[in-house]
Amino acid sequence: MRSLAEYIRLYFIIETQYIKARMQYRADFIISSIGMFFSSLATLGVFWVILESVPDLAGWTLMEMIFIYAFYMIAISPMQILFDHAWNIRFHVQQGTFLKYYFRPLNMMFYYMSEMFDLKGLTQLFVGIALLIYASTQLHLDWTLLRVLLLFITVFSAALVQISIIVAASCAAFWVVNSYPVLGLAWKLREFSPYPMSIFDGAFRFAFTYVIPIGFVAFYPSQLFLRPEEVSPLVYFSPLVGIGLFAITYWIWTKGVNSYTGTGS
Amino acid sequence: MRAYFPIARATYMIGIVYRFGFLFTILGNIVYLGVAYYLWKSIYTYSDTIRGLTFNETFLYVGLGSAIFILLKTYADWFIHYEIREGNIATYLTKPIDYQIYNLFANLGSLLINLTAITLPTAFVMIFIFHVRVTPGVGLLLFPISLLLAFLISFSIDYFIGLLAFYSESIWGVSITKEIIVTVLSGALIPLQFFPDAIQNVLYWLPFQAIYHTPLMMITRPGQGLPVFLPMLLVQVAWAIILFLLARLFYNQAIKVLRIAGG
Repeated sequence: MRSLAEYIRLYFIIETQYIKARMQYRADFIISSIGMFFSSLATLGVFWVILESVPDLAGWTLMEMIFIYAFYMIAISPMQILFDHAWNIRFHVQQGTFLKYYFRPLNMMFYYMSEMFDLKGLTQLFVGIALLIYASTQLHLDWTLLRVLLLFITVFSAALVQISIIVAASCAAFWVVNSYPVLGLAWKLREFSPYPMSIFDGAFRFAFTYVIPIGFVAFYPSQLFLRPEEVSPLVYFSPLVGIGLFAITYWIWTKGVNSYTGTGS
Repeated sequence: MRAYFPIARATYMIGIVYRFGFLFTILGNIVYLGVAYYLWKSIYTYSDTIRGLTFNETFLYVGLGSAIFILLKTYADWFIHYEIREGNIATYLTKPIDYQIYNLFANLGSLLINLTAITLPTAFVMIFIFHVRVTPGVGLLLFPISLLLAFLISFSIDYFIGLLAFYSESIWGVSITKEIIVTVLSGALIPLQFFPDAIQNVLYWLPFQAIYHTPLMMITRPGQGLPVFLPMLLVQVAWAIILFLLARLFYNQAIKVLRIAGG
């Protein structure tokens, strides 16, 4: 077993090389970043247009929605930047190139995911941070040291929730080869996480809280900062949700990797 | 023209192979319908009509928008980019076929399979589970024509973007940017009526509203009559012709820079 420090060092070495290689296509990087910028703001645009016509969305004002949205953008960035290779599992599985990941003395998930570092995802992260700062000054939020610490913890666990959902969906490739439809569905669900969960009821609210807990990606943790006095006790469990979900996903991944026998080509 | 029909049939047959995928797409659409239902329900707590639209009209617009989205999104850009990058395009140049028409028919095949496998089931879910009411009117008769014109416009834009691959290594950024611009500015996510007036006035002059807003209005408020719908259809026809010809012109230019490394 290698130590965590060793893995971090390795990760930096791998990604430096990767970024150097990518930087040969500078124009592509710039255009992709612009594309990322627009695509990550689309849903916010919808909220903005809606809030031009009505004063608030289930009691949430535009500025509060911007805060939740900014939290969402930051929380999904680690998935976008570090786990983008999840989308390609189906190709590797189909073409048999997935076999090579079995032959290194490294953690397989680490080795596989380290092969890609999505630079354009950084745009999303930076826009998210900028929006979070903007919204919190407009809302006069009081950032004590404790609050900042809480922000890091909640973002960390929210990011784990998002990573788990996407990686688990991509693991479908080990059983059905073409995991694109499953991933597409998971990707679509991702877009609903900045919606105020209070607009839902019945099955939808239950599903978004307990089954595929996208509520924990942005809306529930944001409440801790926007309206700490209204927070339901459930929200304090959000760090556990992230870690628990990732453990399940890792278990699925291990199962998938062990059951993969190649496509025979 | 008859030579191109087998192409549409072939893509239709290929599409049938991926039945497993349709289930998830339909499931995704149903979840989207549910989310949209709750979202707009909470918006309509303020009043019965917002910007001249009732809840039923808006939900019909948004829900059907998601159902026809899959029809009008052609992926022609990704396909052409792949063909150019891999050099496969050379095989088309040796055949007596028109590349633009070839692609149009290939996408028409996918349109048909998506119509039967995704759009119609989604529409049934809207009517039978969400109890959306469709009022009779002349707009319903014009809807199929309008949808076909919308497809032509959408295809021409995608095809045009795909041709950029003649000049650039990757088109991810351009494609995604195009997709977002089309989706938001066409009124695919929210009826154009909801946009601030100044923005609305600009949007009506752009081709994007002819892709989603026009056909969706024909279903949402079919009783508006021919004096309203005929000009809308004419605008669609005009955009369809302009963009088709523009893409053609661009192809004739772009094909000159093509260099394929042997292999």
